[in-house]
Amino acid sequence: MSTGRVTGRAISRRTFLKVAGTFGAAAAAGPLLAACGPRAASGPLKIGVLLPYSDIYAVLGESITEAMRMFFEENNNEAGGRTVELITEDETTAPDVALQKARKLVEQDQVDFVTGVVSSGVLAGLRDYIETNKKLLICSNAGANPLSRAGKTPYIWRTSFTNWMPNWPVGTWAAENVGKRAFISVPDYAAGQNTIDSFTNSFTAAGGEVIGIQKTPFPNMGDPAPFIAEIADAAPELLYSFYSGGAAVTFVKAYGDFGLAGQIPLMSSGFMVEEDVLPAQGEAALGVRSGLHWALLLDNPENKKFTEAYKTRTGKDANVFAMQGYDTAHVIAEMMKVVQGDTTNVDKMIESLGGISFASPRGSFSLDANSQAPRHHIYLRDVQNVGGALHNVVIKDLGEIVDPGDDSKG
Amino acid sequence: MNLENLIIQLLNGLVFSMLLFVMAAGLSLIFGLMDVVNLSHGAFYLLGGYIGLTMVRGLGNFWLALVLAPLLVGGLGLMVEYLLLRRLRGTGRHRHLHQVLLTFGLALIAADLIRWNWGAYVESVPGPPLLAGQLPLFNIQFPVYRLALIGFGLALAAALWMFMGRTRLGAIVRAGVSDPQMVGGLGINIQLVFAAVFALGTALAALAGVIGSPVLSLYPGLDLEILILTFAVVVVGGLGTLKGAFFGSLLIGMADTFGKALLPQFSLFLIFAIMALVLLIRPSGLFGLKVA
Repeated sequence: MSTGRVTGRAISRRTFLKVAGTFGAAAAAGPLLAACGPRAASGPLKIGVLLPYSDIYAVLGESITEAMRMFFEENNNEAGGRTVELITEDETTAPDVALQKARKLVEQDQVDFVTGVVSSGVLAGLRDYIETNKKLLICSNAGANPLSRAGKTPYIWRTSFTNWMPNWPVGTWAAENVGKRAFISVPDYAAGQNTIDSFTNSFTAAGGEVIGIQKTPFPNMGDPAPFIAEIADAAPELLYSFYSGGAAVTFVKAYGDFGLAGQIPLMSSGFMVEEDVLPAQGEAALGVRSGLHWALLLDNPENKKFTEAYKTRTGKDANVFAMQGYDTAHVIAEMMKVVQGDTTNVDKMIESLGGISFASPRGSFSLDANSQAPRHHIYLRDVQNVGGALHNVVIKDLGEIVDPGDDSKG
Repeated sequence: MNLENLIIQLLNGLVFSMLLFVMAAGLSLIFGLMDVVNLSHGAFYLLGGYIGLTMVRGLGNFWLALVLAPLLVGGLGLMVEYLLLRRLRGTGRHRHLHQVLLTFGLALIAADLIRWNWGAYVESVPGPPLLAGQLPLFNIQFPVYRLALIGFGLALAAALWMFMGRTRLGAIVRAGVSDPQMVGGLGINIQLVFAAVFALGTALAALAGVIGSPVLSLYPGLDLEILILTFAVVVVGGLGTLKGAFFGSLLIGMADTFGKALLPQFSLFLIFAIMALVLLIRPSGLFGLKVA
């Protein structure tokens, strides 16, 4: 019978109970933890959706999310035999904040894989974390070139585009059909620089000359009037530009307000005059020609079905971001079919991505294993008044394109 | 830069400066008189702009929106002051921190409410048809609306200057900027004056939102951009004086415009470099009466 005092040798009952209890708990915890650990290949498919829901790119985040939900709902809300569960987090525009959110999705929510990411800056900031943690990221927008080239990692694939794509085919066409002296205006960050490089590469190869480049403050461009005045002063034969969100609207409006719309043809990366900003840009956008891998009025059966369904669901016209979200969901569904719902092996999931191809609203779509980005067509579009509203009309199919996987073409 | 381009950019600078002045005048008064750090100023700008948008679409008249939106937002400002800010009055060491937390919280709430009600798409507001024309100037067409902005800014500056310099209420406000306790000691209801000035400040922010929307459009996140610019103006120009707000706006507006024209990549940096420089040399701003 113990008196409660622990002597040098004798073990008190209290101490014995403590020790035994600890071992017992550890023994019980083992199997419990094992069950919680690596994701079981059953139970809901948890997809981490990291997209902007606030600030300047909120529309993009909302469009992509809505289209994803639409696709999954059209397919019984399941993929690979598992119920789809989307866990959304706001990417914002700050890479460090997005990284925290990604951490939360991967480590706290234990998602099977991550999708989303609108901003190229954010994608660049997430790259190392994704690679170190061997988590698959299926990106639905950010086009930063390096992620398909020098900065490639097996864990990041894109269903959207690379920044090189909308610009390169247009450079050749512009030099042959519009003018030989171009002025370029872009925001000062990765996507803007990519625009400069890819357009210049093909434009100069076709005999053109870039007479001036303007890199404007990003993301707060402010009043674009001084930029417009500089462009007018340079008197180019064509203005090539890329802006998105609020800057796309203020820039194109100022371009119209200052009378440049009739004087200097504006050509751009398709995002600048996409359906989400056209209504706000108004007449200033008429006649702007742009290159993009989709157009609202692109004539194929999948696009008709998609655009009608999106309009019915949201009351707004579809845009390229929604289309990308739709295709992302489609890719996820195809991938889950191949791996039969098993998300425990990330290498198997990656392997399945390279073979995925289907008929998309954008036309033919397949994932190129070399660039880990789509193989699709770039269309030359013209902003026209269609039935009382401004829309992008396809005037030429510039052909199938795939990212070269290196910087040889800008 | 040739002479023609210089003139065009000078005009652009004036336009932007006057827009900044309308934004900053209210903030300068609030900060100067009430010693309140109002981080919701940008939100009031954006709210004014969106309310103006709804009014323009609903009533079809820009001028009505120009008058009504500021009145509405001014009323809202009055409520915010009475219900919330007043409780933070005092001379405690942490009063600014409390104001920052409160007003920043308000700004976040307002931003979400705005997006919830008006959506996240970029909206542009058409200016009044009267000012829709353009004036041929060298190799461009200068929009009449922007020229009108210059006139409007100057007129507002004159009106505020007369109010502050020639009316009794203006004298009370100026006295309150210098010494609120003394003013209270003279038997004037300084609480009421504070409330009125806060309402005026937010109304001015909303006014800036309405006149600025044809130029800068409306979208989530704009409130933060406006806030940053306005604070730069107020810090540089000095707190509590209209002269400070006016010349601060001119300096920042011109620096922004010529920065964009000559060194587009560094234009934002230029503004903050100026701000840092002024803070080092004259912490109270160029014309300020209080230390920031």
